[in-house]
Amino acid sequence: MKSHLWGGSAAIAVLLLLSAGSAAAAPSCGLNNGQAATGEPIKVGAIVGRTGPDDFSSASRAAKAYFDCVNANGGIHGRPIEYLVEDDQWNPEVAAQVATKLVKDEDVVALVGNASFVEMGVNAKLYEEEGVMAMASGCAVAECFESKNIVSTNEGPLPSSVGAAQWAVANLGSTNVVCIGLTIPSVGPYSCGWVEKYMQSKNLAGTSVLLDPSAADMNSAFLEAVASGADTVLVNLPAGMAAAFLKAALESGQRDSYKWISSTPLYDRDVPAMLGTDWSGVMYVNIELTPIDGKGPDASNWRAVLDAFGTADDPRDTFSQAGYLSARFFVAAILQQDPAKLDRATVTEAIRNIKNYTSDLLCGPYYVGPGDRHMPNHANMMVEMVEGGYKVVGECMDVDSAYLDPYRANEKALGIVN
Amino acid sequence: MMASDPPVVSTPALAVWRSRSIGLLLLVAALAFLPPLLLASLWLKVLTGVAIYTLTAAAIALLYRRLGLVSLAHVALMGAGGWVGLRLAYGLGTPFEVNMLAGGIAAAGLGMVFAYPALRMRGLYLALVTLMIAGAFAIIVNVLQFPNGGGGWSGFAVKSAGYMPRPAIATSDVGYYAYCVVVTALGMALIHWHEIGKAGRAWALIRRSEAAAMSSGVDVPFYKVWAFALSGFLAGIAGVLLAGNLQMLDARSFPAAESVMIFALTIVGGAWNPVGALIAAALYRLVPALLNDFGVNGDAAYIIFGAALIHALATAPRGIAGQLEDLASRLFGRSNGGNTR
Amino acid sequence: MLGTYGMFLVSGLAVGALYALGGVGLVILNRATGVLNFAYGAIGAVGAMTAWQVLEWHLPEPLAWAAAMGVSLALSLGFGLLVAPQLAHREPVIKAVATLGFALCLLGLMNLIWMVTSRKLGLFSDSLGFSIIGVRINGTRLIALAGGVTATIAMGIYLSRTRTGLLMRALADNREVAAILGVPVRRVEAIAWGISGVLAGFTGLLFGGLVRLDPAVLTFLVIPVIATTIIGRLKSIPVTFVAGLLIGVTESMLTLVKPLAPFRVAAPFVIATLALMWLQRGRRLTFAGED
Repeated sequence: MKSHLWGGSAAIAVLLLLSAGSAAAAPSCGLNNGQAATGEPIKVGAIVGRTGPDDFSSASRAAKAYFDCVNANGGIHGRPIEYLVEDDQWNPEVAAQVATKLVKDEDVVALVGNASFVEMGVNAKLYEEEGVMAMASGCAVAECFESKNIVSTNEGPLPSSVGAAQWAVANLGSTNVVCIGLTIPSVGPYSCGWVEKYMQSKNLAGTSVLLDPSAADMNSAFLEAVASGADTVLVNLPAGMAAAFLKAALESGQRDSYKWISSTPLYDRDVPAMLGTDWSGVMYVNIELTPIDGKGPDASNWRAVLDAFGTADDPRDTFSQAGYLSARFFVAAILQQDPAKLDRATVTEAIRNIKNYTSDLLCGPYYVGPGDRHMPNHANMMVEMVEGGYKVVGECMDVDSAYLDPYRANEKALGIVN
Repeated sequence: MMASDPPVVSTPALAVWRSRSIGLLLLVAALAFLPPLLLASLWLKVLTGVAIYTLTAAAIALLYRRLGLVSLAHVALMGAGGWVGLRLAYGLGTPFEVNMLAGGIAAAGLGMVFAYPALRMRGLYLALVTLMIAGAFAIIVNVLQFPNGGGGWSGFAVKSAGYMPRPAIATSDVGYYAYCVVVTALGMALIHWHEIGKAGRAWALIRRSEAAAMSSGVDVPFYKVWAFALSGFLAGIAGVLLAGNLQMLDARSFPAAESVMIFALTIVGGAWNPVGALIAAALYRLVPALLNDFGVNGDAAYIIFGAALIHALATAPRGIAGQLEDLASRLFGRSNGGNTR
Repeated sequence: MLGTYGMFLVSGLAVGALYALGGVGLVILNRATGVLNFAYGAIGAVGAMTAWQVLEWHLPEPLAWAAAMGVSLALSLGFGLLVAPQLAHREPVIKAVATLGFALCLLGLMNLIWMVTSRKLGLFSDSLGFSIIGVRINGTRLIALAGGVTATIAMGIYLSRTRTGLLMRALADNREVAAILGVPVRRVEAIAWGISGVLAGFTGLLFGGLVRLDPAVLTFLVIPVIATTIIGRLKSIPVTFVAGLLIGVTESMLTLVKPLAPFRVAAPFVIATLALMWLQRGRRLTFAGED
């Protein structure tokens, strides 16, 4: 077992004590000197899938709130960040257009808080050619974790679903997991495929049931899962589809014949109410970052920043945490540079040099490095759905998958303490 | 309900078009080489999309104008052409032009398969068959994905994104834009060449009366199938151009509703005039990009777009190009033949 | 093994009932007005979202059902009375693609009013139900099936026994002649838009409850539903109904054929294409004219 327990780490405990003093603390951002930045703006971009099947803008909203907070608190040594957010409309062509606009026309120094289903695959080449880094916050496809110039704060469907299966094997005694995913190869087969490999590596059984995103018939999908002979169902679908699938399962009256686990999409403030009490105490969800009601300094500061600089309807979800964190790490990295010499080359260099940044929102350290692929966040937690919310049942655990071998090799070379 | 009768303006407009071939060459050259000097990279990217979809719209307009046939599957045909083009690029490493022709021929083959039902049906019915094909394509390609350099017959593997090489003479965005404009112009010239030749005369006869066409010795099935093949060929070429623009394709670009949309816009642009295809493509790609750039919320843009679509279909039977034509003839007081409605 | 087939058969019937119900509403409208309504899904989606909103305000459920059908009725009638007449002179395909414009308007409007997020529509009938051969069928699916059968029979009686029904059939057969003979075209069309609107709301509500409460998904479900109407040649209500059930069962059964299982959502399109080719066999079209 390579898994590593992070819970109760001394450093976090100390920070917790320190932050406990100021209850409704004022947000703390960047230089935190209370002076508005007035110098020459530094252009930073973001591409999010706002209009379309789902709204992925919560990461960029959190990043915007954080940058506004930084700008009100001294900026980057006096220079404010001008944050340009574009909507890719879930359309690959539009994604390429807005990336061209930001990278070539607006000449942004970096992209921070990207969250999209289509943008990363289309634009990875542009980012590499133009020497610009994208510090993404919401990646859902394989390409995002296998590109030189993209690094994401969230971990995507693979570690999340493997992590859920791993936890179920250890804690629920699962021996046969069926993974319900989307047919899109770089999403469903990518993550469910590695769940199967994980199960096989433990001499256990794993299968996949793949669904078209527009599928209407959830009953058959559930019956297909039943036919697989599994004892555990891993729901690895967007929340709306997952709700429909779970409804079909409930309807069949066979809920109690299975153990239920899910990847991160079911971790959202509104999901417990949406699913109702039927799944309380039954469904265990893997979370990519630490809980949204965490008490650590970054968890508190994230909420304080959104309260002070965001709007009431900005979601407080995992993507929002990831967007905040991407923005915070970005600011921390470029604050160490000479503000007069901040251009794309120096910023890219500064981002690549990020090493062993920590936060109570993440299980492990954050780093970038020169590698051709990045997945700094690959340890996760498990929560149990309880009435009206979630309860932590599994502390931080590193994901055990051969997929991570190249990333671990990079970490070893960089001297990342995991 | 004989609204599918062809308006009578087409032939004189074509004659005018031909007499200005040198002017047209200059126009294409200007379209291909001027915008890069004037525009930011974003707009160049958008205009590349406009150039590509102009070819698709022209291919749809050809079927509609000449035979009164409706295809609601042209975006799917583009996808099929693009798939073949990408497969060759990764599988054999053949030059872009070869991939483009192969994509065009594959889509032409598919177009001929569509033509089989067209021999027996027309109107809404045929349109719906093509819509079914577009619907099936969207689902199938969602599972198979587009080739990205993986192994096996599908050429797809879950891995870091692969990128299809562009033509050797046009690797930059600027060069590729000019390349797309030239290919589109050549495609439209191919349509024109067919229309003024034997095929055009056969189509005109078929359109008037299939019985009359048959009795005057026209091979009706052959020319119908040929129109579909030509239209499919051009859509396939456009599909490979699209693949070259992004240097990849993503299944999410090809839902069935997009095929319906580009057909609707072709009618709005005006199927009776070559400029109509350009207007259709601009409505499809440039207008949404403008709205997005003005900061109009994407959902609000949907509302504006939908309402404008209904309005244009209700008020401009010959499309915007037709209205422009009327306006021009009124302004310059020049009456060219049947241009009075 | 029979048990497994039975389970998928029943499950398929449950989904097929939804396709069938949607198809019946489309055919009724097309028969009377010559419009194939691409906005049918969007109109139903607005109804479903309205119902969700009513329930969210903690108002009684009957009100939600009434609101869904009322809003859809208003939208359908509004389009039918205000916009459709302007398109009356265009050919059927143009009328159809114009309704796509209406669908886009409604989709944009829904996304503006109700921020995109995951929602669930819970109906009273979800908790009712019974089991056949190991598959539990809930009340909502039964309502869908019963609704489809009722709509099919009721429309059959309406078209054959009432005066408006007769006028509708006259319109469907030949609009020009019917108008000359003094059929009050506008009034009959309005009735058809109204009936189809109510059915759209009803169907949208059931789809929202059983499939997913997602405006975009519900809007574009109209495309597989159109497949059922093709088999009914855009005219026959009973055939459309049966086609819907057949498509649902085939889609569900394909789950058992492993290599095809991921493609099974394409079943409506493939079945419709094959059915059409078969229906058209031996037919030759030599003279230009209507279909």
